[in-house]
Amino acid sequence: MRIFLEQFLNGLTIGSFYALVALGYSMVYGVMKLINFAHGDLFALGSYLGYTVLVIGAGWITQVLGVWGGVAVALTAAMLGIGIAGLVVERIAYRPVYKAGRLPLVVSALGMSIFISNGIMAIWGPRFQAYPPDAIPSAILSFGDIKITVIKLVTLIVSLGLMALIYWMVEKTLFGAAVRATALDRDTATLMGIDFRKIILFVFFVGPALGAMAGVFAGLNYGRIIFNLGWTYGLKAFTATILGGIGNIPGAMIGGLLLGVMESLFEGFVSGAWKSVFVFLVLIAILIVRPTGLIGEKVAEKV
Amino acid sequence: MKKTIVWLLISVLSVALLITGCAQPSTPTPTATTSASPTPTPAETIKIGLQAPLTGNFAAEGQWAKQCVEVAADLINQKGGILGKKVEIVIADDGSNPKDSALAAQKLISQGLKEVIASYGSSVTAPAADLYDANKVVSVGYGCTAVRLTMEKQRPYFFRTAGRDDTQSEFFAKFAVEVLKAKRIAIMHDNQDYGKGVAEDAKKYLQPYIDKGECEIVYYDAITPGESDYSAVVSQIKEINPDVWFFTAYYPEAALLLKQARQAGVTCTFVGNNSVPTPEFEKIAGVDVIKGSIHLNEPMPQFLTTPEAKEFMEAYKAKYNELPGSIWAVYAADALNALAAAIEKAGSTDPDAVANAMRTMTDAKGITGPLMFTERGDRKNIPYYAYIYNEEGKLELYWPKD
Amino acid sequence: MADVTRKVTQRILNSQKSRKMPVKIAPVQLVLLAAVIVLLIAFPFFPFVNNYWIDVGFFVGIYVLLGLSLNIVLGEVGLFDLGHAAFYAIGAYTTGILYVKLHVPILALLPISAIVAGGFAYLVTSPIIHLRGDYLCIVTIGIGEIVRITALNNPFGLTNGPNGVTGIGNPDLGLFAIRTPTHFYYYIWVIIALVIIGLLNLQKSRVGRAWNFIREDEIAAEANGIDVRSYKLLAFVLGAALAGIAGNIYASKMMVISPDNFTFMESCLLFCIVLLGGLGSIPGNMLGAAAIVIFPEIFRQFASYKLLFFGAALVVMMIFRPGGIWPRRREGVGFRGLGISGLPKDENEFLLKIPKEAVLVPHGADPAQSTTVKAEVAQEKTINNIVLETQNVTMQFGGLVAVNHFDLKIREGKITSLIGPNGAGKTTLFNVITGIYRPTTGKVIFMGKDITGLKPHTIIAKGIARTFQNIRLFPSLTCIENVMSGPHCHAHSGTWSSILRLPVQKKEERKILEIASYRLNQVGLWEYRNELAKNLPYGKQRLLEIARALATSPKLLVLDEPSSGLNDKETEELMEFLKSLITEGFTLLLIEHDMNVVMGISDWVTVMDMGSKIAEGPPSEIYNNPRVIEAYLGKEE
Repeated sequence: MRIFLEQFLNGLTIGSFYALVALGYSMVYGVMKLINFAHGDLFALGSYLGYTVLVIGAGWITQVLGVWGGVAVALTAAMLGIGIAGLVVERIAYRPVYKAGRLPLVVSALGMSIFISNGIMAIWGPRFQAYPPDAIPSAILSFGDIKITVIKLVTLIVSLGLMALIYWMVEKTLFGAAVRATALDRDTATLMGIDFRKIILFVFFVGPALGAMAGVFAGLNYGRIIFNLGWTYGLKAFTATILGGIGNIPGAMIGGLLLGVMESLFEGFVSGAWKSVFVFLVLIAILIVRPTGLIGEKVAEKV
Repeated sequence: MKKTIVWLLISVLSVALLITGCAQPSTPTPTATTSASPTPTPAETIKIGLQAPLTGNFAAEGQWAKQCVEVAADLINQKGGILGKKVEIVIADDGSNPKDSALAAQKLISQGLKEVIASYGSSVTAPAADLYDANKVVSVGYGCTAVRLTMEKQRPYFFRTAGRDDTQSEFFAKFAVEVLKAKRIAIMHDNQDYGKGVAEDAKKYLQPYIDKGECEIVYYDAITPGESDYSAVVSQIKEINPDVWFFTAYYPEAALLLKQARQAGVTCTFVGNNSVPTPEFEKIAGVDVIKGSIHLNEPMPQFLTTPEAKEFMEAYKAKYNELPGSIWAVYAADALNALAAAIEKAGSTDPDAVANAMRTMTDAKGITGPLMFTERGDRKNIPYYAYIYNEEGKLELYWPKD
Repeated sequence: MADVTRKVTQRILNSQKSRKMPVKIAPVQLVLLAAVIVLLIAFPFFPFVNNYWIDVGFFVGIYVLLGLSLNIVLGEVGLFDLGHAAFYAIGAYTTGILYVKLHVPILALLPISAIVAGGFAYLVTSPIIHLRGDYLCIVTIGIGEIVRITALNNPFGLTNGPNGVTGIGNPDLGLFAIRTPTHFYYYIWVIIALVIIGLLNLQKSRVGRAWNFIREDEIAAEANGIDVRSYKLLAFVLGAALAGIAGNIYASKMMVISPDNFTFMESCLLFCIVLLGGLGSIPGNMLGAAAIVIFPEIFRQFASYKLLFFGAALVVMMIFRPGGIWPRRREGVGFRGLGISGLPKDENEFLLKIPKEAVLVPHGADPAQSTTVKAEVAQEKTINNIVLETQNVTMQFGGLVAVNHFDLKIREGKITSLIGPNGAGKTTLFNVITGIYRPTTGKVIFMGKDITGLKPHTIIAKGIARTFQNIRLFPSLTCIENVMSGPHCHAHSGTWSSILRLPVQKKEERKILEIASYRLNQVGLWEYRNELAKNLPYGKQRLLEIARALATSPKLLVLDEPSSGLNDKETEELMEFLKSLITEGFTLLLIEHDMNVVMGISDWVTVMDMGSKIAEGPPSEIYNNPRVIEAYLGKEE
């Protein structure tokens, strides 16, 4: 039982990363009906931005503000930077292609993804980069036999809190209603006086910013980043998004957490080598029963 | 639309500028003696190909290999070259995948090269080695350790400077049971070419001990490379609590795993294979984590006392201000040294003569020790050692201390 | 609106000028084609071409094959397949394993690999084929990963794990073994030539059109008699089989295969090939493949940056040519673009003869039908001339009852109108009748047979055609192609007869074109035949939809608000046209809001409110019915 709980907790932590990245996918998809393949790479770019801030500022930020202050600065810088990067990507790679339909958009997104990940490689090099150890809070909490690093706990709490905040924003506020309305029917929403541009700016800023946060947290938790980090996480997050039901905020969160827990339990109790096979089989099984994901709304296409 | 174009141009330009600006320090421009493309030089150079994964998943390894080979070439040229001619390295990227590997090989063959260093990764090397063989080009592998490359069939023109998976696995079995007195052994690989090969062989060489009841394998599974959170496996290892935890894959995963394991309170002895103890490993994991972990390796560069090793390391450090990032890259440099010695001995670059010289030479000295090859192309006498990280995070020889 | 009309008319006038010339393949295109063929044949003999470039030519070939195979799924049918490398892997591994373990000759393994890959595709895609867009996308990614990881894990010692299968031999033609780069180059390009001929034939046939209909609008395709599920599966199976062939050739060339060859990245590359080249365009595909292979080769010098440029190039490409390098052209190419042989030079000749077949090939009785019901209802039909009857039909969505115990009878040769306020459940009832929804309870009887719960494409083949409230055409296809979807459900020629262009198939294709031409002319859109449907003005789109429905040669035509969006003049013309259909022998069921239309042409009116029938009778009677007035205008207090 203890080991089960431990694995479950492991899964939740991994899952919270997936969920954070998945949120970005889902928000953009909800509004644009576009799988933003570059999202995973924006996540990686965020991780590198955080790294750069911590390396450059290792001397003074940490000294002035303490370790946690350094973390906060890195997070803010990465989120801002990647939020803006998200907007730039939208402007350069997506806006000129909107008219052309969905498939060219997907290719443009793939191209952007390749461009960003190789751009990271060109700038920071192909090797692994290590987050500076003295910038990472290193405390470890023990609950009996279970040990957990403080940064892991903070990651879990902050990401769950942030997801709750986004959920609240989208579901309970007027602006959120506008986002949802746009997701449902862009033309009608525009006719109702909703500024579509504003919504796009919102999703392309907040989505990547969330990804960047996940990226910095990944760096802090695991200490190691590499240019193609975005591919691994991007694919997982995309899986999570679909698992929950794409285009819907709670779906992304539940999908992410569920994916993490499934992976962790399967790897812990059955086999690591077959883990991804298992995850995809479960995904396919779920989609056969529920073609639009766990809590995806039924597509009621009007005929 | 025009606006878009302007935007686009600006952004592409700025990114390009950024790249060229930032990339300079990390990848220094090649020296005059080495060049990525065949330059019209007088006939007194000897061209040797280098096929390496400059892009793709093993891009870092490829870049290191390139740097090491270039340094080795510089050293050879400083001493007057081969047969009195300067060495010129012709580079082809194989993108860490088999298809590009075949194309890269074909490209080097088409340029008329007779001696080639190729390549990193066994499944990437295999199709290239076949091509080189069919076209009578001597190829020397540096990062390919699968047993099958030399044992499955005779490739008369294929050699490798790296050891074989099974040499290391055999050493591990003996070391774990007889030295560490391990009863319960966990073996973890990454389901890739190299890691799985070592793991399977380790299982094979442990079998006699298991039959005698001296030990048991309590865990045998794969992790997924490229992930960051290995807490699920770590929890499992913690639960199983083996005496020895043998990890057979690469340093990035090893660093994360060990770090997460120590944080979770796993205390068992960690044994890494020869891809683990690298500067990167130390950097990512940190001193507190790595101390006490044991790693199997051929004699490591910093423990090499031969003049060749010292000379090479000094030259490398002078040029790049650090030590080579991986042992495989050093093997690539030794592949060049082996080829140089063989050409010198054969007196020409004729592939048959060179291949013959490779098999028969006895006095070639490499950075990683004497360069001698078996009939099938494997390196002879690769000794293995177990190293341990001491309290300061420095490697010390652990066994055998002869 | 007027502006649009003017533009379209102008364009048509322009295109008609050019169309006066005899329709023939333009000499420029022929020369280009010949030049490409000569270039491909002569390539290995060019002075600068060494073995390396020949091998590049070979790998271009591999990617052309793979691109063509994915093009069937992604380009023709529009299914997001981001796991196509799985089928490629299955083909390669089939070849590798059977050769190494059982020593089956490589050439014999070529068809076997295709069959195994196709069979595998059938097995894995049939449970998930109904998934939409992005959901299908992730599932195909999943299939790709499952295949790759399974190969890595070496099940039953077959795949040899990450090492891969080694020692695969070269193809041997008996007298002559394919070994050198030049041999392989010709080997693959000969196969590509054969495949392209087959695919061109298939693309311009009933099967290819059906695929395009699905890509353009799945629901409209199903409602026009296309068996969507089967055609999607067919696309996957054929695509996979072709990928299997590519896998076989690749394995025999490399002599060693490992899971590294079949990564997600590989699937993404294939995806890019198809979209770079242009959806459904075969020459485009070849260019796309060439670009994908040669581009990185050129940039090999700049190894570390080549993918960076590649990514940027993809984005730029999509911005400036979203349709691909060489998109398939449909509009303005005339009937020649349909690929039907033996057509008269002047397209207008089609109008001279009226196809005799009101119903092309009447379908026989459904064997699944119980004889007792048939006899019973058939008897009723003879008494009352009932074409269609809904018996006690209820349609519930969760707690919402959209249609409530509804009985509707439609008599032969009459115009029946179904009216009612918005949200009364009229369209839902239409969807039940045409098979888009399955009723919660109740039965739909058509021509004496129970058709409840049949799929739309089966129902249409039985003789019920429909139009949609919001027009659902196939927007990027020409008008004539749109209407050619009609006779589809009565035609039979399948994949093989289309690929081989059997005489039966040719005859059938001509017949389909004749019927379509006749119907298109009947609604007055003949001159627009080679225009894309999306370029027509709204009113004409409605007519086109009716022509498409008529081309299925239905007994009953179900029209959902045919007059909405039409101006007065157009409405009047429509009324005349509908009446003329009755004299031709059709039976009509309308949903209509325009009371002038309803009262003007209906023989019988049924009024629906809140899912229930509140009145029925001849128009004059309904006009004064207090319950009807109440339903429309609210109760007077």
